[in-house]
Amino acid sequence: MEAKKLQVKFFLEQTSVKLEAIVPVFHAWIREHKLGSEMLVDVADYAHVPNGPGVVLIGDASDYYLDLGDGRPGLLYSRKRYGDADPVLRVEDALRRALNACRLLESEESLSPRFRFRTDEVLLRANDRLRAENTDAGFAAARPALEAALTKLYGKLPKLERVGSPSELLTVKVTAAGAADVKSLLDRLGGAPS
Amino acid sequence: MSAPSSYKQKLEGRMPPAWAREIDVFETQIELRKQGRIVEKLFAETRLRRGVYGQRYDNGQRHDGFTTQQLKFPQAELTKGPNTLWDAPGMQRIKIPFGKLSAEQLDVMAELAEEYSDSILHVTTRQDIQLHFIHIEDTPDLMRRLAAVNITTREACGNSVRNVTACPYAGVCSTESFDVNPYANAFTYYFLGHDDVQNFGRKFKVAFSGCKDNPCALTNFHDLGAIARTRTVDGKLQRGFEVYVGGGLGAVPFPAKLIDDFVPEDELLPLSQAVCRVFARLGEKENRSRARIKFLVKKLGVEEFKRLVLEEKTKLRPDERWTAYLKDLAVTEERPLRPGAALPPGPYPAGFEKWRATNLKPQSQDGYFVVIMTLPLGDLTSQQARAVSNLARRFTGDTLRTTVDQNLLFRWVSGADVVALYEELVKLGLGTAGADSITDVTSCPGTDTCKLGISSSRGLAGELRQRLSVVEEKLTPAAKALHIKCSGCFNACGQHHVADIGFLGVSRNVNGRRVPHFQLVVGGQWTENAGAYGLAIGAVPSKNVPEAVSRLTARFEKDKLESESFQKFINRVGKKEVRTLIEDLLEVPTYDQDPSFYSDWGDPREYTVDDMGVGECAGEVVPFVQMGLAASEREVFEAQLLLDQGNVEQAARRAFSAMLQAARALTKERNQNLGEDPDEIVNEFRTHLVDTELFKDPYQGKVFANYLFRAHKEGLDHSSKESAHQLIEEAQLFVDAAHQCYTRIGSAMP
Repeated sequence: MEAKKLQVKFFLEQTSVKLEAIVPVFHAWIREHKLGSEMLVDVADYAHVPNGPGVVLIGDASDYYLDLGDGRPGLLYSRKRYGDADPVLRVEDALRRALNACRLLESEESLSPRFRFRTDEVLLRANDRLRAENTDAGFAAARPALEAALTKLYGKLPKLERVGSPSELLTVKVTAAGAADVKSLLDRLGGAPS
Repeated sequence: MSAPSSYKQKLEGRMPPAWAREIDVFETQIELRKQGRIVEKLFAETRLRRGVYGQRYDNGQRHDGFTTQQLKFPQAELTKGPNTLWDAPGMQRIKIPFGKLSAEQLDVMAELAEEYSDSILHVTTRQDIQLHFIHIEDTPDLMRRLAAVNITTREACGNSVRNVTACPYAGVCSTESFDVNPYANAFTYYFLGHDDVQNFGRKFKVAFSGCKDNPCALTNFHDLGAIARTRTVDGKLQRGFEVYVGGGLGAVPFPAKLIDDFVPEDELLPLSQAVCRVFARLGEKENRSRARIKFLVKKLGVEEFKRLVLEEKTKLRPDERWTAYLKDLAVTEERPLRPGAALPPGPYPAGFEKWRATNLKPQSQDGYFVVIMTLPLGDLTSQQARAVSNLARRFTGDTLRTTVDQNLLFRWVSGADVVALYEELVKLGLGTAGADSITDVTSCPGTDTCKLGISSSRGLAGELRQRLSVVEEKLTPAAKALHIKCSGCFNACGQHHVADIGFLGVSRNVNGRRVPHFQLVVGGQWTENAGAYGLAIGAVPSKNVPEAVSRLTARFEKDKLESESFQKFINRVGKKEVRTLIEDLLEVPTYDQDPSFYSDWGDPREYTVDDMGVGECAGEVVPFVQMGLAASEREVFEAQLLLDQGNVEQAARRAFSAMLQAARALTKERNQNLGEDPDEIVNEFRTHLVDTELFKDPYQGKVFANYLFRAHKEGLDHSSKESAHQLIEEAQLFVDAAHQCYTRIGSAMP
C-alpha cells in the first residue's frame, strides 16, 4: 500500500454523545501532553454540523476526531504526515494511536456516561486518492499490509470488506467477532506510543 | 503504463497552461524558501497572493487556559513569513468568482477538504470557500486539483483584487436591471494577475449588484461597487453601471461614494483599471491601517479622485479585452435540466411549509425556483458536499452558488422537483428552514482560527443560532426577519456594521482578569446594498449576549410601529433607551461568583488575548519591482534545474525569460503601459535604463545590459549545453545587476 495518510475509526457503543463534553477533554490533552510526544495544536468544534467531524483535536502529524460521520459516533484517528516507510508498520501505528486515544477516553471520568468503544468493528481508510483508489484494484494493493497488521492486532485474520463508492476514500470495514477490549488490543501493539 | 506518482503528472494537460505554470512557480518558491533563498517577507506576500494564509498559533505559542505553551513544530527555525512557523497549520482561501460553482468543482473541494483539511468546507461572507489546518507543502497539489476544474486561488489574499462577488440571484432575479454575471466574470479574469493591480498598499474588493434596493451584493461597503442600470438613448436600451468607490467596513467603516451614475458597459473595465492605477499610485503604502482606497477617496474628495481617474483613463493602453467579452454575454448563462412547472399541490412532507417560507424563492423565469441550503456557520462536510453535487446534477443541470450569508443555493429547480429536493436535503441535514432570518446568524472565523480574533464570534453565533431556533416559532414575522452578524474583532469580516443586530469582539479587564465581550452594534441597514452602518452602544460580556438579543427582539416586537424596520425602530426609540435596556447586562460578576464569564463560548480555556498575532489580511507591501526581481531570480534557478535535467533548450529559454522579467520589473516603474512583448521590453529598457545610464554598473559599465541585448538579438539557438550554461550565468549576473540598480536608484524611482 502506497498511501501514507491513513485513518482508523473505532465506534462507540453508545449511539449518541454530548460533544460539548469532549471539547474540554481535548483541550486538557493538549495542556497535559496526554499523547506523549505528539505535537498537538488546537481543538476545532463542529458540533453544529449534522453527522460531521464532531470535535477535532488538531495535531502536527495526526488529528483525532470524536467523529459523527454516517451518524455513528466514534474515535477517528487520522495520520497526516511523517508516516512510516513500511506499510505494515504504518497500519499498526495508526491502529495503535487510535486505540490509545480510545483508552484515554474510556478512562476519562468527566464523561458521563463513560465511553466504551467497540472493538469488533473498525473502519480503515486511505486518505489519499492518488495512491489508493476505492476500487477493487486499490483494495487488492492495500490488502497485504492491512491483513498483516490486523492479524497481529486480533491474533487471527478478521473479515475485511471494501465499502463505499469510487468517489469516496478507499474504505475497508473490518469485522472481528469476539475481539478483546481496547486495552488488550493496545497491549498487543506495544501499548501507548511514547 | 504505470499510475501517475504525482498530481502534477496526473493532471498534466488538464490545467490551463498558465495556471499550471504559476503553480509550478509557487512550488519552486516553496523550495527556495526552504533553502533560505527567498526572504520571509517576500515569501509571505507570495503565498498570500495564492490564498495561503496563516492561522492562529502559527507563531508557535498557545495559551492553554493557565499558561502560554510553546508549540514545538518540527522545523522550528523555518518560517513562511514574519513570525509564522513553517509547519504550523494554515488556511487556504479559494476564490469562487461571483459564487458560481459547478458540481464537479464542489466534488473536488470535498476531496481536498478530506485529504488536506478536516473534512469541512467553510463558505465565507465574500462567497469564497476556505479550508483550514492545511500544511503549506500540500498547497501546490491542492491548487493543481483546483486548476484542473478551472479554479484558481491566485490573489485570494494579498494586496490585490480579491474575489469578485455578485448577487447570487443574478440572472434569475425579478428586480435586477440585467444579469451581472458576465460582467463579474469578465472583471475577474481581466484583473486576475493584471500588472495594474500588483502595486496596491492593501486589498481591493469588488462587488456587482443587479439592483439597488436589495442587499444581495452589498456594494455599499466595497472598494469598487457596480450596480446594473439601463437607460434609453436614441430609442435604444443601453446597459451600464452606477459605479461606487471607497466603501469599506473594518475599524473605520466608510460608505462608498458615487463616482459615476452611468458608466456604459464598454467603459466599465477601462474605468476600473484607471481606478486601480490611481489607487496604486497615490494610495498609502506605509501606514497599513489607512491604506485602503476609502482613505484615499476621503483624502482627495470624490470629485478630485474622479478627475484623476478620468485623466488616468486617457493614458491607458487600449486593450481589446475591454469590450471583447460583450460579444458573448451568454458565457455565464445557465440552462435548466428539467422543464419548468408550478409547485405541485399538497399535502407536503413535515416541515416543508416552514422551510418553503424562507428557503424557496421563485425565479423570474416561470416554473423555476431558487432553493437555499442554510449552512450552520457556513460549514459543510465533504460528505454533504458530494451529496449536494449529485443533487445539482440530478435536479438543476449543475448550478450552485455561494452567498454572502454563508449559505449555498441551487438555481433552476423546477417546481415539480422542489418537494423531492427538499426531502433529499432533509436526509443530508441541509433541509433546515430559516435562511435569511434571525436564526441564520453569520460570523467570521474569530478566535477559532484567525490570528486577529479577540472573541469567539463563531462560538457566539453558534450559541445564538441554537437558542433562537428554540424560540423562533414564537417570534413575530418582523423579529424573525432580523439579521444578526458577528465579527471576532473590529476588522468586521462578519459584516456586523450592516446587520440589524451586530456584534464585534472586544476584551475587558475585570479585576485583573480578561473577560470576553462583544460590542453591541445597532442601526445598520442590510437592505439597499447595505445602505447604512450601525454604531456600537455598549460592550456586553460574551455570556450575556444571548440575553441582550432576547431583550432587544422582545422590545422590538412589543413597541415597533406598523411596517417599521428595526433600523427605524432604533432611531425612533434612541440608542440611549436601547442602552438602558441592556445596562444591567454590562456588569460582569466576580470570578468567584461566576467563573463562566471568564471563558468564551465554545472554549473552556480561561480567556486571554495573549494568543492574538499579527494579521495577514493586509498582506505585505512588496512593490511590483521587487516581485518582478524575485520572479527573475526564481527563473534563473529553474533554468539551472532544467539544465540539470538535460533540457537544454528550455533552460536557455528560461534564462532569457529571467532577464526579461528583471528588465521589465525595472522598466515598468517608468512606463506603466509596458507590455510583455520581448522586443518592447528590450527597447523600453534601453530607453529608460541604459541610455539614461541608470543601469550602468559603476565597475562593469554596460556589460550586464549587453547580456540581455545579445541574447535578444541572437535569439535562443542554444543547441549546446555549454552555451545554455553560459546564458544562465549571464542571466544570473544580469539579475544581480538589476538588483544593484534597484538598490542604487530605488529611492529615486518615480
